[in-house]
Amino acid sequence: MEKELLFKEISDNVVEMEEDIVEELCEKSLEMGIDPTETINKGLIDGMDRVSVLYEDGEYFLPEVLTASYALNVGIDVLKPHIKQEESSKRVKVVIGVVEGDTHDIGKNLVKIMSESGGFEVYDLGRDVPLDEFVTVAEEKECDFICMSTLMTTTMPGMRTVIEKLNEKNIRDKYKVLIGGGPVSQKFADEIGADAYTVDAAACVKKMKELKGV
Amino acid sequence: MAVITIQNTGQKICCNDGDNLLRVLLAHGIFVDNPCNGTGVCGKCKVRIDGAGICLSCMTQVREELTIELLQKERKHRVLTKGYMPEFEFANYENGYGIAVDIGTTTVVMALIDLQTGEEIANASRINAQKQFGLDVLTRITYEYNHGEAGIQELQKTIVDSMNEMLEELVGADESLRNQIKEIVVAANCTMTHMLLGVDARSIGRAPYAPVFREAQECLASAIGLRAGEETKLYCLPQVSSYIGADIVAGAYVCELEKEAGNVLFIDIGTNGEIVLASKGKLLSCSCAAGPALEGMNISCGMRAAEGAIEDVVISEEGVQVKTIGDLEPVGLCGSGILAVVRELIQKGFLKKTGALIQPDSLKEDDWKRSVLRAVSKQREAVLCRDQEIIVTQDDIRQVQLAKGAILSGFTALLKKAEISMRELDKVLIAGQFGAHLPAESLVGVGILPEQVKEKLVYVGNSSKTGAYMALMSKKVRQEMELLAEKIEYFELAETTDYERVFAESMRFPVK
Repeated sequence: MEKELLFKEISDNVVEMEEDIVEELCEKSLEMGIDPTETINKGLIDGMDRVSVLYEDGEYFLPEVLTASYALNVGIDVLKPHIKQEESSKRVKVVIGVVEGDTHDIGKNLVKIMSESGGFEVYDLGRDVPLDEFVTVAEEKECDFICMSTLMTTTMPGMRTVIEKLNEKNIRDKYKVLIGGGPVSQKFADEIGADAYTVDAAACVKKMKELKGV
Repeated sequence: MAVITIQNTGQKICCNDGDNLLRVLLAHGIFVDNPCNGTGVCGKCKVRIDGAGICLSCMTQVREELTIELLQKERKHRVLTKGYMPEFEFANYENGYGIAVDIGTTTVVMALIDLQTGEEIANASRINAQKQFGLDVLTRITYEYNHGEAGIQELQKTIVDSMNEMLEELVGADESLRNQIKEIVVAANCTMTHMLLGVDARSIGRAPYAPVFREAQECLASAIGLRAGEETKLYCLPQVSSYIGADIVAGAYVCELEKEAGNVLFIDIGTNGEIVLASKGKLLSCSCAAGPALEGMNISCGMRAAEGAIEDVVISEEGVQVKTIGDLEPVGLCGSGILAVVRELIQKGFLKKTGALIQPDSLKEDDWKRSVLRAVSKQREAVLCRDQEIIVTQDDIRQVQLAKGAILSGFTALLKKAEISMRELDKVLIAGQFGAHLPAESLVGVGILPEQVKEKLVYVGNSSKTGAYMALMSKKVRQEMELLAEKIEYFELAETTDYERVFAESMRFPVK
């Protein structure tokens, strides 16, 4: 099978959320001696990009993006061990998490998946994240973005606290702070001085790209 | 100083310059719907302001003189007061009267009981007056976060005042009857119980979601400001956890889940879906955050189940037929209405498994479906009533899908945990206010419950109030309920393995 054809098939099967087939095809790409980095970019990531477009168009929703990402991850698990040299290119870094007091993380996971396939390097702090951790990890990993999410009105003020902590340390300008989640709104983002509120995962990645000019 | 003139009634209200319009209106007892408690998110508190057009009242500051027109009328709501009850022996009081209460987040139901005969002499019901602090428990807990001790007291006073008014209604002018009330028994969810007793509910609203108490509570009714007799006692049924409250304990007791030999699932569908599974002598429970969509909120043309709300829909080649509560002109869609729409859209081929509406352009020129579907820029929508502009948008369908996914995922996760299959379920009991109005066709048609259980549904009505009644009439029942609350195991859905995958699968619509 031709290389380009194989990439297309991998991409198609990510879009179709076929984990098993993606796994098989990625193994096949290794047997064919294709550079795994190329398979990731032209096959897997290409598929995930198409999923993002379908999501923006309203054709796909949360379950499809999640299941497509499972297929993507299965593929990456097959290919990653075979990548020889570490990637040297400097990627834009994002720290992400669900703020302290909240354990609902599906929305956050979606943003993580889409950011990763959008080329960002993501540090996922998980859910119910102590507020200080956003700041310390952002500093440690020299991140560009701090992304926070919550589904509950009770935990929204935590987002304000994180921004206040950045201000106290005089490092607010080093980061772009993006927030999202069910009860969060543009008005709230304005109130707490976040750089942006985005309505969903696709919009978040778009916004980050816009802010970074990529 | 500023003055608000309300066009509808001619009423004038004075307030301070810069006051928030919504807060002023609510403080003066003027009904403005505000499910999100004035955070500018839900868009339900619209008023028409002279010279400015339609505005969100929660986002408006009052300046000088303001003339407004209210756009909503407070409508009559339907409240469920009855339900199934097992046989039991009266063994508590010899005579006198008692009060059984079910406090739901949305509605409050109260009954005056003759303790000697067990007869229900009168009952009263109304919308929970705490709704002015938000429609769901979390918004009300947020109010406590924002207002501290004062907020806790305000929430308590609101529900206590409401109960006092209902007592007034039940007892009437007969003051001597008031003094013969021996006891008031309350079944409520965990947050409502905390708020009634004036106990800080804030910890319920944050992980690890721990309530201040779970045990049954007893005190004098007068201690919290209830105006019954001087000696009247108050008893609140026990809770399992923050999100499996006394209302569910009551329901599980009334439905005799503990005595079930087979596999029986009890489900109370609402903003939170609570599920209890009885299997092999064990009782497992979980709670799923369905959000308010199933109650008609967060839906563009949504409303609560009040007069004029569309409660059923049939879509066919002949067009769209709607049935409204009170057979009035349609005003919006209540929960059962929005579910009926989604069911029809699924069954008549408008909706894909993924929840996306089909593209109108993908249909043939003469396809009848074109008269229902339309695309406004990228957003697709289904038009139900052209004249009243009642529509269901793609986003509305997504809201229903999230709710449906949450409930079905809880259902599935519980069965998984108990290691039984859908087929092995003997009965599915539907409890509560909202579930009672959902026909099996909609529940299964939308995929809130799986197809396999369609013939196994049993509607048990307001089992919370029935539980309060039984606890009032029998000390033994009360003890058994307290033991039952201990016995029901609770688990946090979000923390179960592979939950995300279960949730994703549960969100698919049952398109054949």
